[in-house]
Amino acid sequence: MSEPLDIVILGGGTAGWMAAAALVSLVPPARCRVRLIESEEIGIVGVGEATFPEIRNFNDAIGIDEAEMMRATKAAFKLGIQFVDWGFKGSRYIHPFGVHGPVGMDHIFHHRWLRARRLGLKWDLQDYSFAAQAARDCRFELPETRRTTIDSAYTYAYHFDAGLYSVYLRGLAEQRGVIRTEGKVRDVVQDPETGNIRSLVLESGETISGDLFIDCSGFRSLLLGKTLGVGWEDWAKWLPCDRAFAVPSERDELSPYTRSTAMEAGWRWRIPLQHRTGNGYVFSTGFIDEDRAAASLMRSLETKALAEPRMLKFQAGRRLVNWEKNCVAVGLAGGFLEPLESTSIYLIQVAIMQLVPLLPCKSVDPRLRDEFNRLIDLQYERIRDFLILHYKLNRRDDAEIWRYCAAMDVPESLTRKIELFRHSAIIERYKDGLFPPTSWLSVFLGQGLIPESYSPLADTMPGESLLGHLDAFHADILDRVEEMRRHDRFIDLYCAAEPSAVPMGAEIRL
Amino acid sequence: MSRRIEQVVVVGADAPAWMAAAALRQSVSAAGIRVRVIELPTLLQPADVYSALPELAGFHHRIGLDESLLFSLCKAVPMAGQRFSNWSGAGPPFIQGYDRPPPVAAGLAFTQLWIKGRQKGLRTDFENFSLAAMAAKAGRVPVPTQDVELRSTFGYNIDAAAYSALLRNFVTRGGVETKMAGIAELELDGDRIAALLLADGERVEADLFVDASGPQAALISRMPGTELDSWREWLPCDRMLVASAKALKPLPAFGQISAFRQGWVGLFPLQDRTAVVAAYDSRQISDQDVVDSLPALANVPISGDAVVSSLTQGIRKRTWVGNCVAVGESAFSLEPLDAVQLHITHYCISQFMTLFPVDASAFREAELYDRIIRRAAVNLRDFQFAHYKLNRRFDTPLWDGCRELAPPETLQRKLDLFAARGRIPLYDDETFQEQAWESLFIGHGLMPQSYDPRVDAVPEQEHIAQVQARLNDIVGQVEGMAPVDEFIAGVNSEQLQRLKPLDEDVRHLPTRTMTENMGAD
Repeated sequence: MSEPLDIVILGGGTAGWMAAAALVSLVPPARCRVRLIESEEIGIVGVGEATFPEIRNFNDAIGIDEAEMMRATKAAFKLGIQFVDWGFKGSRYIHPFGVHGPVGMDHIFHHRWLRARRLGLKWDLQDYSFAAQAARDCRFELPETRRTTIDSAYTYAYHFDAGLYSVYLRGLAEQRGVIRTEGKVRDVVQDPETGNIRSLVLESGETISGDLFIDCSGFRSLLLGKTLGVGWEDWAKWLPCDRAFAVPSERDELSPYTRSTAMEAGWRWRIPLQHRTGNGYVFSTGFIDEDRAAASLMRSLETKALAEPRMLKFQAGRRLVNWEKNCVAVGLAGGFLEPLESTSIYLIQVAIMQLVPLLPCKSVDPRLRDEFNRLIDLQYERIRDFLILHYKLNRRDDAEIWRYCAAMDVPESLTRKIELFRHSAIIERYKDGLFPPTSWLSVFLGQGLIPESYSPLADTMPGESLLGHLDAFHADILDRVEEMRRHDRFIDLYCAAEPSAVPMGAEIRL
Repeated sequence: MSRRIEQVVVVGADAPAWMAAAALRQSVSAAGIRVRVIELPTLLQPADVYSALPELAGFHHRIGLDESLLFSLCKAVPMAGQRFSNWSGAGPPFIQGYDRPPPVAAGLAFTQLWIKGRQKGLRTDFENFSLAAMAAKAGRVPVPTQDVELRSTFGYNIDAAAYSALLRNFVTRGGVETKMAGIAELELDGDRIAALLLADGERVEADLFVDASGPQAALISRMPGTELDSWREWLPCDRMLVASAKALKPLPAFGQISAFRQGWVGLFPLQDRTAVVAAYDSRQISDQDVVDSLPALANVPISGDAVVSSLTQGIRKRTWVGNCVAVGESAFSLEPLDAVQLHITHYCISQFMTLFPVDASAFREAELYDRIIRRAAVNLRDFQFAHYKLNRRFDTPLWDGCRELAPPETLQRKLDLFAARGRIPLYDDETFQEQAWESLFIGHGLMPQSYDPRVDAVPEQEHIAQVQARLNDIVGQVEGMAPVDEFIAGVNSEQLQRLKPLDEDVRHLPTRTMTENMGAD
């Protein structure tokens, strides 16, 4: 029987504890042993309070009960993201976690809608998205599993306190055998020949050895960046925001969507949780100074602030590779993309879930490492392009940042996508990574890019029929949404962190 | 000035032309777009066979063709896969079956369980865990059942001339105007075809021309910048021979592909005969020598004449130029191996329909089409080349050469990762999914060195139970399948309708993510 792989995770927070929890839950101790080093002294960024639907796969894989997790993290549901003032001031649209149109018609539906618009149809495309309607109306129920009804046409994610999530995972991970060591790293010992990391020396003098090191040290990238010298690919020219202020405020209406509001030098997030609202202003110091940005955020809060704003510095970009030698970066140590589409936790998850099947046996096999890097490259690139799209497609003229972004050159792969959609309403599909066509569609149209034409395949039905079908479908959606429970009520019944006055019972339709 | 497409002309012969015309008629005729076919002389010989993947049934379903006609009119035989012999020297033959991929879900691929089992002493061959391969070995026809984890369905061998005639009939009775003619000249206007000048003098104008003429590429080859990028360096056979032998009794459920010193010879059972196809390298052996040794190579007596032709594997530098789009082998062609020939046409047509141009004065969709087709072509080429790369014959320069050749990077990654961990990296636009690549690699003797660590979390008893359960499930399912002759005798339209489309009911499983849920495929 060969020796287990010794894994050392540097850093706690969401990245570290997600990695620890996954490894200890999925791989037996005979195969790998997991140690995590973190320091209470080092502040955790507390990134990503909104998530992406894939998080449910992660939780399932680890065996987390949804309602229990939501109670522990004071979570609420998320059906999508509402973008306010991005296309132009006064505009708002929803990027839903669901298709537009009936299930199974994804390829053709928006072409039919485009044609119908020319025939006089008034409704927006998102009026045909069940998820968007439910979100706007503050409703929530768990989706149907049979893939033929309106109510199967969506999925969902969570808003949660990421700090509480990582505490929750830490409890689970330690219970399942992860050894936690409190301390800060003073030195990194490398093998003189290969350059592999051999051990970490803590300030206490303790030395911790390992075969594989997972760098969750945040922006410092202590192992991958500083020790192994993996270079940085900067994306600031496309994504100019380099700071964020975060501030909690009192609980507000529990809407089942994240709101992103474009501001004078960036954008503001609003994330409703059971116990409070998370707020933040992601901005660029190239277009506003820190003090003015803080003031702008505080002024725009919808409810009373519960603390002083906390500032974070960052840069958009990534390490050239996320797995070098025997070190894998997870989370901010590997790269950063602003939370405009709630992808921070997703990138953590994807790194972990791609790493697990490719875990080396004892020493690193470059073939496994190369595959990991190939997959992570695709993930980063695709998210990056989608975020740039939001900025590029703005039609605001009222602030320098918006003029800059509208005029900037963007990656060729993105230009092609924009131009093809503009010309033919076609959305390119790809296999790995985010985002599916429905997402691209909602942002293209939401920010005002109306295609010049549509597929002739949508011309086959007589116009009257088409309008009739669309009317009927729209009415169906409205009817069904009206029957749905209100989101705050659903939370009360399903996963209230505080006990509710109303007892749980047969009222729950799951 | 932007304007809609009004008239499409399909140029070609045989199944590809009729497939293109049928798809167009189905999708755009009701929008008022006129479809016309200029039918070139057939390239088919009486002995020709089309060996087709199960996906073809989806195409028939979409165009509204009654599948039972393949069996009643085109001598079709259902195929569970193909058996490869003599590619591995003394190694045993293996079957590449048409297993369907399991639904995307959490949980380990069974292959990973098998790899660990193997390391722990499990002696049962990988092939025994393939439903399609076991059906093939038992001479039975796999059809989809309620079991979503373990499912397979059949491909076909079809008489080529009869199938072309069937499709031609289907298309013309559907109202598509057809004319048999030769093309004298293309009248070009920059990078667009202004008109075709037919041999009989007619001048044919259209907004869009579809080249479905097979490897002769009657239209696309005359457009600027469309030279053929040859793939001869990977796929060494440049000659093909087709002949017939007697029908096999009882009918087997697989095609037989046997390597020989200078190429390979395939037996493709049909209802009334067996099509014999040989592909070989003319640098190593002459046409005459192949004809003479064919009965020995194929191990069956040959009836009638053998016809030889050229194979030119490769891809056009551009597959859609101006108002001319190549679908099928006019865009790219490979060897008649792995039943890809009709699939190439099917795939091109499907992609083209999703990119049907919106403006007859500017074909901006062409660039994406070209990229997609190129990716699909490379993946298929890699699949075929993998047979050659992994060969373990040491008897001739042809086989040594292929084995020693550094593969394209796309294939090298697959080989490397599979050798390391038993996983297949899939790219965009792959025809063959994990299980097809796995059975190819393992069949040719490539054994993974390690397995997914999550397998170690499965207790040994549970592991054994899962392995046993799968074997039992397969035996049970195969027992319920009809033998080939019985299947053919009992075929009727209604029964076949119920079997297709292939994966519809799999979508009724709960899904969790954006990409699964939102129709990505």
